[in-house]
Amino acid sequence: MRTAVNHRFNFAIVSRLSGQLLIVLAAILASLLALSLWADDGAAMAFAFSAAVVAVVGSLLRFGFGRHAATELRGRESFWMTSVVWLLAMLCGSLPYMFYGAEGFTNALFESVSGFTTTGSSVIARPEQLPPSLQLWRCATQWLGGLGLVLLIVAINPRLASGSLQLYDAEFSGTQQRKLHPHIAVSVSRMWRIYAAVTVAMVVALRLGGESLFQSVCLAMSTVSTGGFLTSSSGLAGANASTMTIVIVFMFLSGVNVAMIYNFVTFKWRRFWHNEELLVYTMLFVVATALCTTAFVADGNTLEDSARFSVFHVASTVSTCGFFIARPAHWSFLVSVVTFLLMFIGASSGSTGGGLKIRRLLTLVKYMRNYVTRMIHPNVVFSIKIDHETVPAEYVNKIFAFAFLYISFVIGGGFVLTLCGSNIPEALSMAAANMANLGPSPLMDAAGSMPVYSVLPLPAKLTLMVLMLAGRLEIFALLAIFSPAYNIFRR
Amino acid sequence: MRKESFKAILHFVGRMLMAEGALMLLCLVPALHFGDGTALPVTAAGGFTLTVGAFVALTFRDCRTIDDRRMSYLLVTMLWVTMSLFGTLPLIATGATLRFSDAFFESMSGVTSTGATIFGSVEVLPSSVLLWRSMSQWFGGFGIILIVVALSPSLGINRYSLYTAEASGADNTGKTATSTTVTVRRMLVVYVVLTLVFIAALMLSGLHFWDAVNVTFANISSGGFSIYDNSLAALTNVQQYIVALAMLLSGVNFTLLYLFFTFRWGRIGHKLDQFAFYITLCVCAVAFVTWALHSRMQLPFSDALRMATVQSVSVLSTTGSLVADTAQWWLPVTYLFVVLALCGGMAGSTSGGLKVMRVLILLRNVKAVLRSRLHPAAVDPVRLNGKPVLPHIVTNVMVVFFVYVFTIIFTVLALMLCGINATESIGATVGCITGYGPGLGLSGGFGCYEAFTPAAKWVCSFAMLLGRLECLTVLVLLAPRFWRR
Repeated sequence: MRTAVNHRFNFAIVSRLSGQLLIVLAAILASLLALSLWADDGAAMAFAFSAAVVAVVGSLLRFGFGRHAATELRGRESFWMTSVVWLLAMLCGSLPYMFYGAEGFTNALFESVSGFTTTGSSVIARPEQLPPSLQLWRCATQWLGGLGLVLLIVAINPRLASGSLQLYDAEFSGTQQRKLHPHIAVSVSRMWRIYAAVTVAMVVALRLGGESLFQSVCLAMSTVSTGGFLTSSSGLAGANASTMTIVIVFMFLSGVNVAMIYNFVTFKWRRFWHNEELLVYTMLFVVATALCTTAFVADGNTLEDSARFSVFHVASTVSTCGFFIARPAHWSFLVSVVTFLLMFIGASSGSTGGGLKIRRLLTLVKYMRNYVTRMIHPNVVFSIKIDHETVPAEYVNKIFAFAFLYISFVIGGGFVLTLCGSNIPEALSMAAANMANLGPSPLMDAAGSMPVYSVLPLPAKLTLMVLMLAGRLEIFALLAIFSPAYNIFRR
Repeated sequence: MRKESFKAILHFVGRMLMAEGALMLLCLVPALHFGDGTALPVTAAGGFTLTVGAFVALTFRDCRTIDDRRMSYLLVTMLWVTMSLFGTLPLIATGATLRFSDAFFESMSGVTSTGATIFGSVEVLPSSVLLWRSMSQWFGGFGIILIVVALSPSLGINRYSLYTAEASGADNTGKTATSTTVTVRRMLVVYVVLTLVFIAALMLSGLHFWDAVNVTFANISSGGFSIYDNSLAALTNVQQYIVALAMLLSGVNFTLLYLFFTFRWGRIGHKLDQFAFYITLCVCAVAFVTWALHSRMQLPFSDALRMATVQSVSVLSTTGSLVADTAQWWLPVTYLFVVLALCGGMAGSTSGGLKVMRVLILLRNVKAVLRSRLHPAAVDPVRLNGKPVLPHIVTNVMVVFFVYVFTIIFTVLALMLCGINATESIGATVGCITGYGPGLGLSGGFGCYEAFTPAAKWVCSFAMLLGRLECLTVLVLLAPRFWRR
């Protein structure tokens, strides 16, 4: 068998597949152009230019450089493609903001990166002043990034077969678990269908609850993708009770493994009930909510205020959605701490949420518990089981390596942020929040305002962008392109 | 869990107490020489410790075998807890502090060679207390070498397998002698000789004998207590560089030092991965800090270089001696110090932190994982000094790392619950767990931990214990399974 290094890097296939994605993006931009013309909101020119640029570049890549591409995708190419696709999409995503004239290049790119990575950190202080079509684009980037751009490509190219397992792995790394279907393409298409169905369900629910169609669509795309962009600078402060309830439910759902939702709706309840990750996720939600409520009440808030905020806040944090609502009058530092921890833990694997992922942490904790046992009884042989399946040793090693990298990235990012003038807790929480694709960082003090990322200096913004991307691509895919083993010019 | 093992533990604790009592009695010398009226309390404290130690050791003199691995964890923890419990006696007897939480904090900080202090001003303390503080660090450093070198081979604990490989010999590079006793003796000779050399060097550079002794004791053990209110800033430039060298060596693996000083250079030639990484970290830190001090804080270049060198070495070896009030330094420098302290010195030295060897293995493992994703079938282990590191050792390093991370998180949380603000909590946690000493904010720089609430001081004391014994040794005692038959 030929190994990946022995063949010349296949530029054509990378070009072809990225081109394909750009053409999809161009189509979306074009439909937004139509919307903009219909609504006459003044963003038509911006969308026209963006769609044109993206379409031209996409066609060049797809039909120019990628015309004769083989259909086979191997190791190096799949990692490179993941990074290239994301970078290209983010660049394209920034065009409408720039052409509309709302933001400069850095800010536009930041907004786009934050959107595609479903982070939800925004440089736009007053999103309600943007034209509706641009707001819709802002939310759509999140929705596209939610399940992953590479999964989008796999969905378009079901025949990528051999390479797509690695592709799937590149974006959804570390989730090693039963796929929805032995065939990867079927699996991916099912995931997209579930994702779309959940989104539609949320739109319908919101409509029934009395929200406008536009508001419903935006909110649903932000929630289901665990993004966090909102159409108004005041957050969800003015939303009515039914909207709040729906958002809470769907935030919680979007932090659940997509496969579990599939199992649930297809009546495979045995698998559903026996999923340890889901159990831990739910327990985490309940315990954290109880803790936060208690902390708020102890600090002198009313029970109703405390509970309402806590449920919303915890759901928003465990799913790494990052919505914010009006805080209770007295902030409790314990809530900041709980938030900080939840943010590191993150959502379930195979969900749209970010963070370290519960399944990984569960493996780590189980391994560490067994390690202590072995310290006491050195000759014990053990294996780690999750959902009654043994986790292989080299897999544990990968998880450890991932978690180590994750922490290193947060610490490294924090360092650059202190260079840019943040204090230490602020820098750490900002880095961690963006790494987890959460968005608004739970500042450790009681300030409680939505962080305004536009005031940050350029290096800080760049750092945050890298962190968001690293968090979304689960580090390895991003790191791979800087690793000598993945050098494209090596044969 | 036989009764004999408990008795054996008590026997060893008794012997350790005798040594500690003897050292306390040594503090009589300055007490009498300077005539500050602490002779009587110091005699009482030393005498009491010595008597208790002798009594316990003699009562259980026939029990010397620890047959259960579990007991060794208990032994190590017991040693440090008792050491710091009795170490409070001179502090309380001389009236240096009257609160037990303070005395225990200071004593624990001493025997774990941390260097965090509750004394806002140390220059008002009686000479015997000053010497005791310096000496407890030296004694604590002595203890950790003893544990690492003497105990780990017989323990064969996974946690120590790193040490075993490096300090005392999976291969014959590390194994400097056939018998453990001989190895211990040689390591201790290195420690004592280094101490004497640095005392001499400092005296040659113009320091008084009394000062030289204290400064050396506190720095060669990577401790960090000082007899001056402004720590190393009270010394001349040359003396600061000498101390920097002492701190640098305190972070170096003792086997390496032994081989180096006995001219067996051929045997260390290919064992330098860890040392090279340690020095690289040092050089990078010095470069950045020099730049920061020179261009950001407008210090003259020579001063900037000196301060950067001394302070970076102090941080990386987790000594905690201060060349200036670092609390006033540019924030990124402080941040860098926090990260460096977490890295710590080399495994098998008196320094604290995670140890550069672990960091090195963690980093190399990331590379190995990256390669393995491209070539899943390739056998491509992590290498150290050119030799493959066994997979279970790599995983063990990771477990230690994560236990360390979790310990830090919970300590920060506990401190915040005690009413300390976020920055202070992070600083104090890192300061105490790594054995660096100074924290951030009030407890950073020339500041002290005096303002912490008693509860917070207990948390910090516990953190120092955890950090010194690398968390798991202590935490395993909390597992219910540990106490089952």
